[in-house]
Amino acid sequence: MNGLRRAFNSDTFLGLVRYRVLVILVLAVVISAIVAPSILEFRSISLSLDRIATTGLVAVGLTPVLIAGQLDLSGGAILALSGITAIGFQEQFGQLPAAALGIVVGILCGIVNAFLVVILRINSLVATLASMLFFRALSHTITDSRPISGIDPLFGLAVSRPIEGTFTLRTIIFVLIIVLLHVWLTRTVAGRNLFAVGSNPASAEASGIRSRVFVFGTFVFSGTMAGIAGVIQSLSVNTGSPVFGESTALLAIAAVVIGGTRLEGGRGSAIGTLGGLLVMATLTTVMEFKNVPAFIQDIVTGVILLLLILLDRFVSSKKGRDVSWTALLRSLHRRRQTPEIERTHAP
Amino acid sequence: MSDSSTKTHTVSVRLVKESPLKRYASAFAVPIGIVLLLIVGSILSDRFLTVGNLTNVIINMSIVGIIVVGMTFVFITRGMADLSVPATVAVGGILVLSLDQAIGTIPAAIVGVLVAGLAGVVNGLLIGYAKLNPVITTLATGIIVLGIAQAFVGGVIVYGDDTAAKEFINGRLFGVVPVIVLIFLVVVIAGHLVLSRTVYGRWTYAVGSNPDATEASAVPVRRVKAGAFVLTAALAGFSGVLLGISLQAARPAIGAGYEFDAITAVVVGGVSLLGGSGSIPRAIGGLLFVQLLTNIMVLQGVPSEPQGMVKGALIAGAIALDVWLRRKGGRE
Amino acid sequence: MTAPAVLRMTGISKTFPGIKALTDVDLTVRAGEVHAIVGENGAGKSTLMKILSGLYQPDTGTIELDGRPVRISGPIDARRRGIGMVYQELNLVPDLSVEENIMLGATPRKAGFVDRKALRARATEVLAELGTRIEPSDIVGTLSVSQQQIVEIAKAYASSPRIIVLDEPTSALSELEAQALFRVIERMRSAGIAIIYISHRLREVIELADEVTVLRDGRLIETRSAEGITAADMIRLMVGRDLTDVFPKREVEIGDVVLEVDGLSRAGAFEDVSFTVRAGEIVGLAGFVGAGRTEVARAIFGLDRPDAGTIKVGGVERTIHAPRDGVAAKIAYVPEDRKRDGLVPELTVKDNISLAILDRISTAGWIRAGEEKKLARAKATELGVNPPVIERKVNTFSGGNQQKVVFAKWLATQPEVLILDEPTRGVDVGAKADIHTIVGELAAQGVAILMISSELPEVLAVSDRIVVLHEGRLTAVLDRGATEQDVMRAATGEVTA
Repeated sequence: MNGLRRAFNSDTFLGLVRYRVLVILVLAVVISAIVAPSILEFRSISLSLDRIATTGLVAVGLTPVLIAGQLDLSGGAILALSGITAIGFQEQFGQLPAAALGIVVGILCGIVNAFLVVILRINSLVATLASMLFFRALSHTITDSRPISGIDPLFGLAVSRPIEGTFTLRTIIFVLIIVLLHVWLTRTVAGRNLFAVGSNPASAEASGIRSRVFVFGTFVFSGTMAGIAGVIQSLSVNTGSPVFGESTALLAIAAVVIGGTRLEGGRGSAIGTLGGLLVMATLTTVMEFKNVPAFIQDIVTGVILLLLILLDRFVSSKKGRDVSWTALLRSLHRRRQTPEIERTHAP
Repeated sequence: MSDSSTKTHTVSVRLVKESPLKRYASAFAVPIGIVLLLIVGSILSDRFLTVGNLTNVIINMSIVGIIVVGMTFVFITRGMADLSVPATVAVGGILVLSLDQAIGTIPAAIVGVLVAGLAGVVNGLLIGYAKLNPVITTLATGIIVLGIAQAFVGGVIVYGDDTAAKEFINGRLFGVVPVIVLIFLVVVIAGHLVLSRTVYGRWTYAVGSNPDATEASAVPVRRVKAGAFVLTAALAGFSGVLLGISLQAARPAIGAGYEFDAITAVVVGGVSLLGGSGSIPRAIGGLLFVQLLTNIMVLQGVPSEPQGMVKGALIAGAIALDVWLRRKGGRE
Repeated sequence: MTAPAVLRMTGISKTFPGIKALTDVDLTVRAGEVHAIVGENGAGKSTLMKILSGLYQPDTGTIELDGRPVRISGPIDARRRGIGMVYQELNLVPDLSVEENIMLGATPRKAGFVDRKALRARATEVLAELGTRIEPSDIVGTLSVSQQQIVEIAKAYASSPRIIVLDEPTSALSELEAQALFRVIERMRSAGIAIIYISHRLREVIELADEVTVLRDGRLIETRSAEGITAADMIRLMVGRDLTDVFPKREVEIGDVVLEVDGLSRAGAFEDVSFTVRAGEIVGLAGFVGAGRTEVARAIFGLDRPDAGTIKVGGVERTIHAPRDGVAAKIAYVPEDRKRDGLVPELTVKDNISLAILDRISTAGWIRAGEEKKLARAKATELGVNPPVIERKVNTFSGGNQQKVVFAKWLATQPEVLILDEPTRGVDVGAKADIHTIVGELAAQGVAILMISSELPEVLAVSDRIVVLHEGRLTAVLDRGATEQDVMRAATGEVTA
């Protein structure tokens, strides 16, 4: 038993956990390669990335929300609503303006969420549950529960056709936004302050950071991203439907959590979310390839998600162990020096 | 430490006086709302205030009502919400119909409830003992359980052919009281009695209100919290069983939306998300309110979609009101 | 040639309902000076500091910074004015790095982006000035507590304060870690910062301080130079008072040993604690905040698990891993923080009183409501809960009454061992006397009582014997007739058992 405990306590194990996204991704790719070698072809990869792009956009929007310690369940509904707007107004305004309008709808929905959570101080779970119901119902009302078609199916192809044989426009947009978010989170003052807001809101306020403004902003961002996702999705299939995005919210949350962003706030990364999405993309592709039925895929996703949050809970109770690259390197160096202060493990 | 020259200023700082406004608003809001709806409804449509129509309302709310009982426990114990309800409902419905030919309807029903309860045990362990976030956990277990249920039946619709059971469930006792309503009432009364008169019920309130003090009072906090989820899953499974029998058909999506309906009812009824307060009568009151509202809209010819919008707005409104009242009453 | 006064607080008084926290207190602190404030628990130290940090406003008196009268409106204002507070509860963001935490809210920026070079430079500068080798790139959550404390100090230091207040900075530190802290303090002193140092560890005060201010019962007793001061001097000032609140002690026949604690240890909290409590005996558990008294109590009751040692009740060794075991062993624990651990606010008085014994008044899970009501009413009346309306929510009662409800709950379990943790804290004089009478009654009935209290007069008046803890170790077991000085000496570690 003690041996087991020591194993779990070892730096190796904790290092593995910290970099679990990478580990899982490598594992996933390896397993996939064994099971279905053809998926490592470029075209396959491009296709799986594309498939995940829509969920990915929602997931990217969710990442700052979770870092700020909040939840947003309405992404899927906003996606549907924006898509419907982008298609529905095509006749009136033309395709591009209608698409822009769709994005505006996303922004407005985000503002509604922000209002509920920040101004009315409603718990974000309940607030976005309510707004999800509302937006979804709105979508159904506007379309009379029937999908609507756009004017020109060829227009959307621009989005979903691989450009020059590489990646689709959709994929490129999604990767671009992730990279931008990553930069924002790691290199801008506002981005770093967001971690403070999510981790210890009281101390953030005490340091002069306006937590409420930040939280407001994250919901608007999340809504906007869901809006963009919805517009792109609808354009690519030239259809706006009130049932789009029904499972997107959960898949997006799964990707974000798999990618290492904590539900309690204060920790997360855009690249991590990308990693989580890649993991899910790989798994989905493999399962599709093997003709695994949809419900089994669901089971797999659910189990992985549970295992990961369990792992997170289990490991987060082990404070005082730094296993970042820099620290690991330094500890190797330090073994030759006497430490200034004995590093004590937190009780 | 205090010397005899202590002067006391009369500043009420630590006493939390229950503001009468909050107390009355909170207790009477829903009944008044129901009365208002009854009045408005009867004005808008002559068909509203008929026995037939009102009976329909109650029949419609019976299935959700059973789930609401469980969800109330979850709320009061500060378990946030149980989003795995669609899955456990489906489990109940699917199992009762797939097994009824093999082992008979009633044993199949029991199996359905037990398996659903098992899902609840998993939830309970993860949330009560491992202390995971209830929202994500129940979402994830819901997906897993639903997937397993679908795998079990190969992803198709299950049909049953026990017409006797179907007629029974859909029929009326003594030609007057619908059986399903009776079952619903039994569950509600049982739930209310457990919550208000038993040790477990008292523990539920204590855990939701102050888990630390409750733990220090030698109460098994984790077991109580886990129990709420087991109960909800079992009740959801039971309502799925009833649904399945009454329709003699069960799709995996049979439970879709029930979790939101249950949460809406509980929230509108004034049961707080933060735990420690509320009751089953209140939750059922909230359910009645929502059902009456829906009924009025249906009678007015409002299509089902905008009804969803109203429901969403209702949840938001009810919670905002609760938050506001709490702040007025001096509690954060 | 004395340095100019950076801070001058004059005639500060502050009253809370029922408690006069500060009466006419003066404090003068100069640049480059370490000014220690000592006093018992409740002497007014933290209230004075909260006024300085702007959390409270004084009822009377003035505050002058650099000779100019100011009104400090709140914590952010205090910081702007150059007052840096370092509390025991750290205010850091665990997932950000040391440098990010140090400059939080004032991060150097270049067009919205973090100016990494400037950030690193400033952080390195601060850390170097404080003489610590903590790396700016370390993630705060991975540092040890003592290191985090230094980061917290660095954070206060980075805003170029004139004054830094350290509130019990070494209570969670080992000797070695404390030395590192002292080096940092030394650096700050030479940088001309005025340092206010609040601590119970008199030896540290002697080592570090230039000036010492002693508070007692909210009043200033003396401010003097630390030159040549001894612990005995300080203790005499902290403690010497007339025992105006003497509660009559009943003469009770003391029976056999009921509770026997042997070699009890819990890493980081206390070590090798052994004592006994007899039936009808009141054993006082004394020591400063952080000495480990509550931790020992919690371990005996089952809220925490000890690493070593045995607990015997009535001669039988018990394994106590959870409160349920404690209750089964006939132990009851009235907790220190009644709001957090004692009462369930949304429930009624009746429900609170019956909470720990529900399984005894129920049949097959069904609560015997009539019996519950009778029991609750009896206990409430017995303890003098006023008004004895058991159907009212407990959070509508005053502090004294709430404490009585907590008592009622635990007395309902009919314990053989009763542990009281600060039973009269935050309770008005009338209720205090009531509680003491109740405790006396219980002793007369043969209950073995272990009482933790920070009020020396109370401990001395009520206890048959006094067990004194100092930093997790038992330093003395005193008999009735011991003086406050005796207790203090053991509590500050002057005496070792």
